[in-house]
Amino acid sequence: MNLIESVKSAFRSVFSNKMRSFLTMLGIIIGISSVIMITSVGQGSQVALTGEFDKLGVNMLTISLKDPSKATSRDQLTMEDIEIIKNHPQVTSVTPLYQGGNAQIQLRNPKEYRSSILIGVNESYKDISALDFLYGRFLIDTDVKMKSKVAIIDDGLAKEIFGYDDVIGQQVYVQVKQVKHPFTVIGVIKNPMGDFASLFPDQIPAMLYMPIGAVHDLYGTNQIQNFAVAIQDKDRINDTSLELTKMLEKKHRNENQYYVQSATESLDVINKVLGYFTAFISFVAGISLLVGGIGVMNIMLVTVTERTREIGIRKSLGAKNKDIRIQFLIEAMILTIIGGLIGIGFGYLGGLGIGSLMKITPKVSLVVVLLTVTLSSMIGIIFGVYPANKAAKLDPIEALRYE
Amino acid sequence: MITIKKLTKVYQNGQFQVEALRSVNLTVEAKEFVSIMGPSGSGKSTMMNIIGCLDRSTSGEYYLDEVSISSLKDDALADIRNKKIGFVFQSFNLLPKLTALENVELPMVYAGIGAKERKDRAMDALKKVGLEERVYHKPNELSGGQRQRVAIARALVNEPSILLADEPTGNLDSRSGEEIMGIFQDLNQEGATIVMVTHEPEIAAYTKRIVTFRDGEIISDELVENPLSTRRNFL
Ligand SMILES: Nc1ncnc2c1ncn2[C@@H]1O[C@H](COP(=O)(O)OP(=O)(O)O)[C@@H](O)[C@H]1O
Ligand SMILES: [Mg+2]
Repeated sequence: MNLIESVKSAFRSVFSNKMRSFLTMLGIIIGISSVIMITSVGQGSQVALTGEFDKLGVNMLTISLKDPSKATSRDQLTMEDIEIIKNHPQVTSVTPLYQGGNAQIQLRNPKEYRSSILIGVNESYKDISALDFLYGRFLIDTDVKMKSKVAIIDDGLAKEIFGYDDVIGQQVYVQVKQVKHPFTVIGVIKNPMGDFASLFPDQIPAMLYMPIGAVHDLYGTNQIQNFAVAIQDKDRINDTSLELTKMLEKKHRNENQYYVQSATESLDVINKVLGYFTAFISFVAGISLLVGGIGVMNIMLVTVTERTREIGIRKSLGAKNKDIRIQFLIEAMILTIIGGLIGIGFGYLGGLGIGSLMKITPKVSLVVVLLTVTLSSMIGIIFGVYPANKAAKLDPIEALRYE
Repeated sequence: MITIKKLTKVYQNGQFQVEALRSVNLTVEAKEFVSIMGPSGSGKSTMMNIIGCLDRSTSGEYYLDEVSISSLKDDALADIRNKKIGFVFQSFNLLPKLTALENVELPMVYAGIGAKERKDRAMDALKKVGLEERVYHKPNELSGGQRQRVAIARALVNEPSILLADEPTGNLDSRSGEEIMGIFQDLNQEGATIVMVTHEPEIAAYTKRIVTFRDGEIISDELVENPLSTRRNFL
């Protein structure tokens, strides 16, 4: 008996009992669809994150104090360091960063506030970050020099305060240490977290970009938490990191105080975490596949018993043990492969659902699809072998006598 | 064609042993038309199953076309069932989900014959048993007599050396039974070797030789003087 005949007859018996076949596949469908859903979302967010980092440029460094609590005043980063860093031939732009926490921003109802982070930077920040402008502009050097009370806010916040988003020239009130300060909005950007952030406005603080001097004044400090540095050649990122550290150490006459982190490094970390996460969920999905496989085995055993007489008839007509074995094995594989394909479909739909919540495009790669199909056929083989062997070993006479 | 010497079959039923066949000797030549008779439990089916290579004897020798069957492995037996033996059962044993045509094609599927040739030959075989109008019917859309004719077509389609039938008319009314016997007679006329079990003397009367079993032994083996002829020609 050739393979095509076996496949045809297997399809026939799978489809002649559609409801049962579907229920049998259910475990596989659930298992495979969770694998696909998780990996598609995982890969999608990996792609999205990589995209973000690409926008930022993989040729970005941040310089900070290794341990701010142990640093002396001599070690603190200062505005003068900017000139030192700029001197390095690889460096294209530098911005200092000071993030002021514990700030409140007044909303539409003047009694309501939302917690905010005030990000003090200079005009170069726009070369280094990937801000998506809807209206207005970023800081320019006079804003920074004059410590102007201007701010760039995101569209979500604009809507919360004003009810619409084109709010250039409007005043926002920022409260720091019980004192309210008016800032003029000069730019509106798209919230980088998308609608996801506006779902939880209380959990996620609003971010406002302001001239670093202005933020320093609000908090009465001149501390710089870190420098963000863009460099020309990403292949020279490691050398440049070292050289920049050396230059700062020379200026501050200290050692081993500064920490340089590159964007690629954090990307690697995030990718690794995502990878572990995906692996863990896949493990859980694997268990549901195992359960699904056992379900397939169970139904195949029932099928073999029910079709004992058919097996006897086929054997009486000259079917060899291997013909019977292949027939049932293929039936099990068809169940799991169709289950797998349905699972891929559902998983992709599920991924689209989750993806639209998370504002990412889920990604199903051909490799994953091929792997899943292979996996489902393997499950078919593994859990079909025992029932198929049982069928193949039936004695023709006893099988024919079975009622 | 068939040579059987000192064949025994012992069933082990827990503590008890049942001697279904006791040292049976039997020879069947090509083109014979033999009926096996005897009371229920006398070993007729056991004999047929061993001749049909569905079962193995406990001891003794069995040669089919000069091949010693007793020593063959499962796969070789399957091959013989496929190519040399056509089996017709009392309960038809058709696959309910397949059409008449597909049922008849089955032995050829296992013989590895291509789809086109299979269909042609199955059509011919069904035509031969007078069912050319019913080829796409499922067994449950056919009468008992028609089902048995499908089973005969299926048994013939691989051109076996011998046609075995275990009470082929047992589930049929007398008219259909007579039709089946007519088909067998015509096939025998054309040169087919047929061994058939029946416990009805009226059916055995259509055959050319009657072998009678009792308690697992052959108690008589005689030729029929004037085999009954069916009134009509069915083929
Ligand atoms: N599988 C079996 N296990 C045990 N005993 C059996 C089995 N098959 C047949 N027998 C016994 O063997 C004897 C012959 O049976 P069988 O050949 O079926 O008789 P017949 O076909 O002449 O009615 C009977 O006594 C029957 O009970
Ligand atoms: Mg019997």
